Amino acid sequence: MATTMRIAAQRASSRALAQMVQSRGMATEKQIFNQIQSTKNISKITASMKMVSAAKLKGDENRLATAKPFNLWAQSITGEPKVVEDADFSELPQKTLVVPLTSDKGLCGGINTFITRSVKEIVKKTSEEGKTVDIVVVGDKGRGQMRRQFGEKILVSATEVQAPGSYALTSTLASEIMSVAGDYDAICIVYNSFVNAAVYKQVYKVVTPFVTEGEGESLISYEFEPSTKSEILNDLGEYLLSSEIYEAWMDGAAAEQSSRMTAMENASKNAGEMIESLTLQYNRARQARITTELIEIISGASALEG
Amino acid sequence: ARRKDDDKQPPKMSTPTTFWRLAGMSYMQYVNRAASCVTKALKEPAKSKALARSDFSYNASVWEAGTQGTKTNVTTFSAAGK
Repeated sequence: MATTMRIAAQRASSRALAQMVQSRGMATEKQIFNQIQSTKNISKITASMKMVSAAKLKGDENRLATAKPFNLWAQSITGEPKVVEDADFSELPQKTLVVPLTSDKGLCGGINTFITRSVKEIVKKTSEEGKTVDIVVVGDKGRGQMRRQFGEKILVSATEVQAPGSYALTSTLASEIMSVAGDYDAICIVYNSFVNAAVYKQVYKVVTPFVTEGEGESLISYEFEPSTKSEILNDLGEYLLSSEIYEAWMDGAAAEQSSRMTAMENASKNAGEMIESLTLQYNRARQARITTELIEIISGASALEG
Repeated sequence: ARRKDDDKQPPKMSTPTTFWRLAGMSYMQYVNRAASCVTKALKEPAKSKALARSDFSYNASVWEAGTQGTKTNVTTFSAAGK
C-alpha cells in the first residue's frame, strides 16, 4: 500500500516536472491536438466555400457570355479593352474620371489589390504628364484601400452592391457616374477581366463623350433621323457608358468568383499540409509522453528493488 | 465633390423633341422602364422571376475632401445621382 502510494507520488511529481518543462517552450500534446482540430474545421469551411464559388462562377460565366455580344457595338466605338500591365495611359485626356470596379466581400485572392495598384499606376503616369484624375470607386474593398492613398481624389463611392448584377444596376451606376462626370473629358473604367478559371487580368477602357459639332465630330459618316444629332448623341452617350459598365461588371464578377475559388482551393491545400505536419508533431509528443510514463514506472520499480 | 453643379450647365440643347426628354427622363431611365413594361407582359411565374432579376441595391456616398459622407441606399433609378 505504502509502496503503491510512493510510486504514485513519484509519478505525479515527475509528470508535473515534465509538464513544466513542456509548457516552457514546445507545445503540449493537448495544444497540438486543439490546433489540428481547428485546422480541420477551417479546411472544411474553405472547401465548402470553394464549391460555392465554383457553382456561382458557372452562373457568372453565363452572364458574361450574354453580356459580351451585347456590348460589341460599343467596342467598335471605344475600342477593345486594353491591358493595364505596361500601359502608359498616354491616351487619357487632361481630366479623367477613373471608375475602378472592386468587390465588396473578401477572401477573394488579389483582385482588389491589383485594381488599386492599377489605379495607382494611372495616377502616377497621368500626373507625370500634368493631367488630373478623380475617382468614383465601386466596391467596399476598393474603397477601403483607396481612401488611404487617394482619399482626396474620390468623388463618390458605391458599396454593398447586391449581387448578381443586372442591366438595371449598371445603368443606375452609369447615371450615378454621369451626375458627376460633367466636367471630365473621359471616363476610364478599370476592372478585372476573366480569362479562364485560373487566370484573370486587369484591363481598362476609356469612354469619351461624343462631340456633337465642330472638329472631331463623332459618327460623321452617318445621317441622323428623326431627331437632331445632338439629342441622339446624348442618348447614345448614356447608352454607351451603360453598356460598357455592364460588360465590365459581368467580367469583373466572373473574375472575382474565379479568384475566390482559387484562393479557397489554395487555403484548403495549405490547411491539409498543416494538418499533416501537425499530426506528425502530435504523434511525436504522444510517444514522448508514453516513454516518459514508462521511464517513471520502471525507475519507480527499480527504486523499490534497489 | 460636385453633384449638381448648377453654375456649370451642360451645353444647352434646343427644345427636346424626344418624348422621354420632354417628360424629364434620361434615355437610360426610359429604356429601363420600357424593358420592365415588356417583362410585365410575361405570364406568372416567369414574370416575377424576371422582375426579381432586375432588382438592385447599393449604398452611394458623396466624398468631400477625403472624407466619406452619409450613405444613401439606392434601389430605384430615380434615386441615383442625388
